Parts: sequence; C-alpha cells; structure tokens
Amino acid sequence: MSAPKLSLREIGKRYQIGSNTEIEAIHRVSFEVMENEICVLLGPSGCGKSTVLRMVAGLEEPSSGAMTLDGRQIEGPGRDRGMVFQAYTSFDWLTVQQNVEYGMRLQHVPAPERARRAQHFLNLVHLSKFAQAYPKQLSGGMKQRVAIARTLANDPEMLLMDEPFGALDAETRWHMQELMISIAEETQTTILMVTHDIEEAIYTADRIVFLSRHPGTVAANIVPAFKLGKRWRRKEEVLELDGYAELERDIMKLMRQQATDEVQAVA
Amino acid sequence: MQYQSPLTPRAKRWLEIRKPISRRTTIILGVSLWAAFFIIWEAAVKAGFVTELLMPSPTRVLSTLAGLLSTPDFLMDIGASMLRIAISFLMACIVAVPLGIAMGTFRVLEAFFNPFMAAWRYLPAPSFIPVLLMWFGTGEGPKLALLFIGVVFFLITLVMDYTKQVRQEFVETSMTLGGNRKQILWTVIVPAVLPNVVVAMRQMMAVSWTYLVIAEIVASTNGIGAMMMRARRFLHTDEIMAGIVVIGVLGLLCDMAFRWLHRLMFPYVEESAR
Repeated sequence: MSAPKLSLREIGKRYQIGSNTEIEAIHRVSFEVMENEICVLLGPSGCGKSTVLRMVAGLEEPSSGAMTLDGRQIEGPGRDRGMVFQAYTSFDWLTVQQNVEYGMRLQHVPAPERARRAQHFLNLVHLSKFAQAYPKQLSGGMKQRVAIARTLANDPEMLLMDEPFGALDAETRWHMQELMISIAEETQTTILMVTHDIEEAIYTADRIVFLSRHPGTVAANIVPAFKLGKRWRRKEEVLELDGYAELERDIMKLMRQQATDEVQAVA
Repeated sequence: MQYQSPLTPRAKRWLEIRKPISRRTTIILGVSLWAAFFIIWEAAVKAGFVTELLMPSPTRVLSTLAGLLSTPDFLMDIGASMLRIAISFLMACIVAVPLGIAMGTFRVLEAFFNPFMAAWRYLPAPSFIPVLLMWFGTGEGPKLALLFIGVVFFLITLVMDYTKQVRQEFVETSMTLGGNRKQILWTVIVPAVLPNVVVAMRQMMAVSWTYLVIAEIVASTNGIGAMMMRARRFLHTDEIMAGIVVIGVLGLLCDMAFRWLHRLMFPYVEESAR
C-alpha cells in the first residue's frame, strides 16, 4: 500500500479561556487520508471537526501532535491545500472567470494559460456560460461551484471543504454532491470534507472519520464497504444498496450517544 | 366556469404599516411639504406677518440669487469655497485612506494609532480656530487646517471600521490559494473595502461643508460664508438666504456626484449594500 497523502498524528488543540482556565477542544486526533481518497469528517456539532480541517489548512495551529502532507510537515496555509468554505467566498469585484483565475494570478501564471485553465474548470462545474458574470448574479449553488473551480484551477495537492453545501437547499445539495463525486473522479483530487449530514457523508465518502465531542476525538474510522469500493454517480443508487440503512443507523446511534452525553452533562 | 366578482373590496387606509405605495404618490407627497413651506412663507411675507427686511419672501430670495449668480464676485466666492473643500478633502483622504486601511488590517497598527485618533475625534474642530489663526495667520492656512482636522480623524475611523468588516473568509480563501501578506492586502482587502471607502468619503463630505461655512464666517474675505457675513453688515437678508441655498444645493450635488461615482466604479456591488 502506498504512503498516505495526509497524515494526522495525535493532534490536540487547547484554548486559553480567562487567565488560568484551559479547555481541550481536540484530543489526540489521528487519521490518514490516502491519495485520491474522499475522506469525510463527520460528527455532532461542536465536536471540533471544522477546527481539525482549519488546522490541516494551516489557518489554525495545533497545540500538539504532527501533521504531514506527502510526508512534509504542515507549517501554515499554502496553495497545496485549497479550501472551500461554507460561506460564499466568490470575490464580488471579480467576474466568475477572474475568480477562477485568481489563484493562478497570485502565482504569476501567464494570462493565456490562466484563461485556458479557467475555461477548463468552468466547464467542469458547468459554468462556462457565466464566465463574464459577477457573483451577485449567481445563485448559492453556482457560487459554490465557482469556489470549487477556483480552488481546483490552482492545482492543489488536496481539496479541503468545510460544510461546502451546508447553506444550499436540499435539491441543489444532492446535485452538488453528485458533481463533487464526478469531479473527484475526473481530476483525481484528494478531498477532505467536513459535514454534519450523515446521508451526505455516506454517499460521498470513501472513508468516514467520526469525531465525538468534548473533547473532539476520533470515535470511529469507517470505510463504507457496502459501496463495493467504487463511487456512485447517482445518489439514489447508494441509498438502495444493501448496507446503506445499516451504516446510517449505526452512525445515528453514535450521534445519539453523543447527544445523550450532552444532555446528561447539562442535567 | 363563471367567476364571481370579488367580494367587498378591502377598505383603503392612508396609514398602512410598511405597505408599499405607488411612485406617483411618493413624488406627490415629497413635493407637497416643500410646496406648503414656500407658499406659507410667501403668504406670511405678503400678509405682513414678518418684517421683509429680516425675512424676505422666497421669490425675492430666488431673484436675488439669480442676480448674484450673474456677478463675477459671487462666482469667485463659490469657486473659492469649492477649492477649499477640494484641497482640504484631498489632503484628508491622502492621510486617512491608507492609514485607515492599514489600521483595519494590522492589529498592531490599530493598537498603536487608535487610542490617539479616538481622542482627537472628540475634540470639536472649531475649538482650534483661535490657535489656527495664531499659527497660520488669516490666509488659506487656518481654513484648510480646520477642514482637514474636522474630517481626517473621522475618516480614519470610518475607513478602519469598514476595513475590519472585510470578511475573514475572503482573507482565508486567498491564504489557501497561496496569497502572501502583500498579495492579500492588495488583491483582497483593498478591492473589498474600496466601495465602502467611497461611501465613507461621501459621508464625510457633508461634514466638510459644515466646517467650511464655520471657517469662512469666522475669518475670511472670500467664499460663500464670507459673502454672507458681508451681506449681514448691510442687512441684505436676501443675499444671506441666497448663500444658504447655494451651500445646500452644492452639498446636495456633491452627494449625488459621489453616489454616481459609486455606481460607475462599483457596478458589481449588491444594490442593498450601497
């Protein structure tokens, strides 16, 4: 087996609250993401899954542990780990095409090459017709597709996604999930995505890392074997597979257990 | 199938909570108070309720204004006032915009400058007039200095606040696309805050006009404010009022120019954010 693309070893994150109180948000989180894998970080709200993702992105610093990408230590944010956020991040002063070209402009890629790559990735997310539009003219789903194209056009080693479809309506959401799978297939991109949506996790993931909370730590590392090691272009096909319902139920129980802990902690 | 005519139409009332009204009604309502104001004013003068010397009629003010606008002296006064605004405002912007953006971007600069700037903001600019007169004499110096002081500290704060409002996700997106500090400043923060910098300028322009009149009334030989003080000496109330009208109209034109500029420069900004 090849070496992992991304590796987290005993990552911890503590926050200082007040002068002498510290809380441990993340406790010894370890997992690996393989090349070309879609790995989904799933867990109840407040488990710190977004914090883990932000640490991988280099936007936050772990208090302990080690993280490597392709064997190299992660030091800070970098273009090898492009991120798509839940909030819309299309730069409103740039057209769709200029948005997609943005990362390449930072890298001083020559204009013709930039335009060519932007066209390619706009095609991939079905937005070629909107290349000259401004973000204010786009719907939420389209804005997220711009963000995905912009990140991929920058040729990252990994695509990080923080609840990318969380703000979208249900229908747009599953279209986007299917689009994400076909893009992952076509571009051979390694993806680490955060979600709290169990269905989304099971449908899209090659591997699910389930985090429990207080402090956030890995409670389960699940490979949904019932998907037979392949990716399914249509969501309903996965929902129909033997084993889907069982996995969904198991994960719900994990979530519920967390919720009960929470209720007990309050009571 | 036959449709019945509607049941009883709903009763129409004038005051409906947040219900939209037609454009025609909006215009009629907007104009009517102004019309009433002028009619009552005119009637009060005609009926002799007020002394015409102290309170000339609106028609009289308008005819005086028309007369004034055809004299080179008055046009020079208007020119002098506008030049003062332009020069002092430009100087204030040159200082405030880069400093405000820098303070809104780097916490270290905010911590260093803001306590200083905040204190100056609470000192009324006109209170500096006596010392400004002592330092700069009676030329253009004290006027420009007053206008500059009156605008610059507020403009710095406004620009800083707008810069801090630039969304963190924009900055972080650029970071994960490989942007370095310089690139993030110039390709994210500056373009993101620019529309609001123009909004801040528009807001401060109104303040600038206020200080202009104060400066010219206190110590000046030319400008619209000086003209009004001269007119007072000869009891030319109509000229004073004509001056007020001119200042009001110029202020309004300035505001409209900035709005137009905003639309022209930033067509991509959501209408609700203007």
